[in-house]
Amino acid sequence: MAQPLHDNSCDEHVFSSLFKKHSKNLHDFLYYKFGSQLNPKDKVQDAFIKLWDNCKKVPPEKAKSFLFTTANNLMLNAVAHQKVVLKHQKKPQKHSTNESPEFLLEEKQYNEKLQKALENLTEAQRVAFLLNRVEGKRFKEIAQLLDISVKAVEKRIYGALKKLREDIEEL
Amino acid sequence: MEREDLIQKWLDHNLNSEEQKAFEKLEDYDVLTKLSNATKGYKAPAYDSDSEYSIIAEKIKSKTAKNWLKPLIRVAAVLLIGFSIFYYTSTLDTTINTTIAEATITNLPDASTVELNSKSTIIYNKKSWSNNRTVRLEGEAFFDVEKGSKFDVITSEGKISVLGTRFNVKQRQNYFEVTCYEGLVAVTYNEQYMELRPGNRFTVIDGIITNEKEKRTKPSWMSNETTFTSTPLKYVLAELQRHYNVSIDASQLDTQRLFTGSFTHKNLDLALQSITLPLDITFSKNNGVIVLQSE
Repeated sequence: MAQPLHDNSCDEHVFSSLFKKHSKNLHDFLYYKFGSQLNPKDKVQDAFIKLWDNCKKVPPEKAKSFLFTTANNLMLNAVAHQKVVLKHQKKPQKHSTNESPEFLLEEKQYNEKLQKALENLTEAQRVAFLLNRVEGKRFKEIAQLLDISVKAVEKRIYGALKKLREDIEEL
Repeated sequence: MEREDLIQKWLDHNLNSEEQKAFEKLEDYDVLTKLSNATKGYKAPAYDSDSEYSIIAEKIKSKTAKNWLKPLIRVAAVLLIGFSIFYYTSTLDTTINTTIAEATITNLPDASTVELNSKSTIIYNKKSWSNNRTVRLEGEAFFDVEKGSKFDVITSEGKISVLGTRFNVKQRQNYFEVTCYEGLVAVTYNEQYMELRPGNRFTVIDGIITNEKEKRTKPSWMSNETTFTSTPLKYVLAELQRHYNVSIDASQLDTQRLFTGSFTHKNLDLALQSITLPLDITFSKNNGVIVLQSE
């Protein structure tokens, strides 16, 4: 059995490496779960500050679940059941020159439908699905991140895909 | 290969080239890729963990900076409390009490002495003594004051100011008496100011002021005797009760009668005789109460 190098996260190097390792994932998780209006960046900061305050009690290997739980709770306190708003990043269109107006309109409508459908997913489905599709994470990685089984991730993502397709067709 | 399996593998980014081809041949390939590509537009805002870390590092630094401040503040608080308690107690007034039949001698901070008769209290402040020699007195006391700045004795009846002298102050209910034995004593009574020379006594009984001579060199109570000159009997009996813990019933007597004489502090019967014989009074003890009657 390998002994953990540090039994708490108080050392600044340990803390810094924890931050580099988890902050982006935590941020993405919060964004996909709660949307943009509650400022996930701030919650990430707050969660890490809490980790620093409690660094004596939290060994580095427990830091991830501490951070996710803390940030999630911080969000839940702030949420008070606000509706999720995901922002479509307005990237410059790749082939904007020779597209017909009909095509552009269609695409716009499709995006609106997709956004509604995404907002209608359960939090668990949306987080897993977007981490998979947008961040390109594999099932195993998501399972580790969320502390659930690979099978559960599979189920969530497949379920999300099915529901999205149904919703888009309906709308 | 099942359609569903292909989709699962596609979702898990786990298609090999053969499977990829099979997947592309699926009828809903277009729908799926379109959905997948459109979803990418909902990417979370870019997150730069380095710049975010620099923000948090700043916050943590200010926190750790406060870490040494906290215990320092605690130590400072303890010191402050300790110092204030010390200051408070050291500037606190000193109080000296005597009970019935007790007399005590006290040195004031500048070697002046106060001798307290029974059932009396003096209050003074050690700290400010050097520039404010003030004693508050309730009861009777003899003062031997060292030469120096003004020395004040404040009673509820009047104020006595001296420079360096020996004098006796007696303040009881409706009874105020100052006797000067040495030096010069200034008495302020009811905004009336007078100076007492050695061998003089200033007495106020029930508002009546009298001036008498005193031949002794120190108060009689200091040799365990109390002396009165033309004093109403009720004050004599009140004084007696300060030296002997007894209750006296004099309801059948005219306690305004004047008494001149003295009684001892050592023997109750002798003291009672000294008071009653000259006034033609008899006394009897009844359930611990001494009843006085005219003959």
